[in-house]
Amino acid sequence: MGRDDPRLSRGSNPSPPTAPHRRWRTGPYWLALQIALSGSLLLLFVLPILALFTFAPLGQIFNEYANAQVREALWLTFFASGMAVLAAVIFGIPLGYLLARRSFPGRTVIESLVALPVVVPHLLVGLGLFLLLLPGSLLYHWTQALGIPVYDTIWGVVLVMVFVSAPYTVLASELSFRAVDGRVIEASRSLGAGAGTAFLTVSLPLALRGIVAGLLLSWARAVSEIGGLLVLALVVYPGGIYDGPVTSTISVYIYDLFGTGDLKGAAAVSSLFLLIAFALFLLVRVGERSGWLPWRRGDLSP
Amino acid sequence: MSHWVVDGLETDLDRFHLGPVDLDIAPGRAVAVLGPSGAGKTTLLRTLAGFLPAERGRILRDGAEITDWLPEERALGYVPQGLGLFPHRTVARNIRYPLEVRDRPDADARTRELLDRFHLTPLADRYPSRLSGGEQQRVAIARALAAEPELIVWDEPWQALDVQARYELGLVFHQLRATERVPIVIVTHDPALAFSVADSFVVLRGGRVCGQYDAGELLRRPADPFVARFVGFDNVYDRAALEAAPRSNLRAWLLERSGPEGIAFSAPAPSSASDGASAWSGTVRSARPGPLGLTVEVAADDLLVTLRLPPPWSPPLPTFGESVPFGIEPLSLHPLGAPPRNGPVDP
Repeated sequence: MGRDDPRLSRGSNPSPPTAPHRRWRTGPYWLALQIALSGSLLLLFVLPILALFTFAPLGQIFNEYANAQVREALWLTFFASGMAVLAAVIFGIPLGYLLARRSFPGRTVIESLVALPVVVPHLLVGLGLFLLLLPGSLLYHWTQALGIPVYDTIWGVVLVMVFVSAPYTVLASELSFRAVDGRVIEASRSLGAGAGTAFLTVSLPLALRGIVAGLLLSWARAVSEIGGLLVLALVVYPGGIYDGPVTSTISVYIYDLFGTGDLKGAAAVSSLFLLIAFALFLLVRVGERSGWLPWRRGDLSP
Repeated sequence: MSHWVVDGLETDLDRFHLGPVDLDIAPGRAVAVLGPSGAGKTTLLRTLAGFLPAERGRILRDGAEITDWLPEERALGYVPQGLGLFPHRTVARNIRYPLEVRDRPDADARTRELLDRFHLTPLADRYPSRLSGGEQQRVAIARALAAEPELIVWDEPWQALDVQARYELGLVFHQLRATERVPIVIVTHDPALAFSVADSFVVLRGGRVCGQYDAGELLRRPADPFVARFVGFDNVYDRAALEAAPRSNLRAWLLERSGPEGIAFSAPAPSSASDGASAWSGTVRSARPGPLGLTVEVAADDLLVTLRLPPPWSPPLPTFGESVPFGIEPLSLHPLGAPPRNGPVDP
């Protein structure tokens, strides 16, 4: 049957009757609804950011970077949040693996415990840690003896950040490890890989994308922390691994500016921070897309 | 190559109990583990591979006990259901994996050799998700063979394969049997395909071994109605079903010839009885043509009997309710559960 067969020509085929409900589902109304709903949320994201950028003159935003105090606060924020992410890697990923792969009594309780820091107000976290490490307590003596005092030091900042941010890594790791097909792991064991090798060559590479997403969330959460810091580490004095001037994290610094009525300054520093954070996230996403960040390929080994 | 013996193996998984299982797998032999879903086939394989602890019994490799060895120490080529290919590794790196984890210096050469042998060289840089079912099977077997295992254990090799891929996999197995002396254990619920590969059969049911047979034995002397249905007898009757009232003529005739478990026979042809065959008639319930001929199901004396008219047959199909005569050759009857030596059917 060729193209010219009259039976196949358009003319002899009556067009199928159109069902109104079908046109609605696939038609412009449905698309318009999607755009309207998604757009509203995006607008909510964008408008406050625009307000920040328009409130402070553009020149001031870049001038703030020349301000040594701001630079120090930025450095402290990124350094402490980096430490918190490192802690999430070292302690959070194993916990996620444990919850995904082992069944043991009390697992549900542990899972709820892990989710707890996500839901409690963070001022409460600071207060809890404050009470735990109160001068005179056993932990206070230990931390002092180990040279890691927490009140108004960088260790306090890191401690609060780990508390509020690590659950994202644990939860993401648990879900990602659970999604790895157990039969693939069994195949690797049977092919000669010990439990550790199977973890490093199969489980971890296959779960990596999800884990990295969790780590990014953890980092974002750590960077934006303020509630716990207001109680435990409002300002940071030099000591331990920090030897700079007395400073605070960028969120506390902005809160301070706001508290003293310097709205323009607060908006300018906020805008600067937003630019840096946005650039970092964009870099990671582009890296994933283009494939030069390895977890896109799900494979770290050469 | 090793000689494997499984001696009284028992395992508990949740509420399922497997065993005791006895197996003897000589070098170069292929054993098929048959059984319906839930019979314990995969549990047996996972116990063999070391992923489930054996509660009782022993696994011996060349006389040495390896029951409590770790999975990676057993030198097994275990291919799980769904093949367990590494989705994040290319075909070549999948095959290379067992050589890599053993730090084998000949990893590259051996990988190239296997890629070539299983016609995978053009696909070496593809990821498993980009392969057809048959190609994935070839990767799985090449990977299992890479580190020269002492036993290949394969769970459901034919799962989700189309006809062409099944045929190709059959060829791969035949080649494997011809060139390697590695013993193979295959789990399947597809007896027809198992017959094309295995030379001995273990039938599992409800976690228990019904028996270990060779192909001829399995067909000639099925142990019970389950095995008989499994290997493809069209007409299988439990003794209890034959004993139930009302005792019609056909029931009584079959009961007389039945073993302790029942009786089985292949589909007779719908025709007048030949010499020596008993003559019956039934009314047609269904008729369907197929490659083996025309299969007709009739109700005869309240028993359903499957008849088959081999090709060539010409239309029309028998109609519903039509009366069809058929004969049953006494020699085609297989009493089930009869002790082998006293079995009346022993050609």
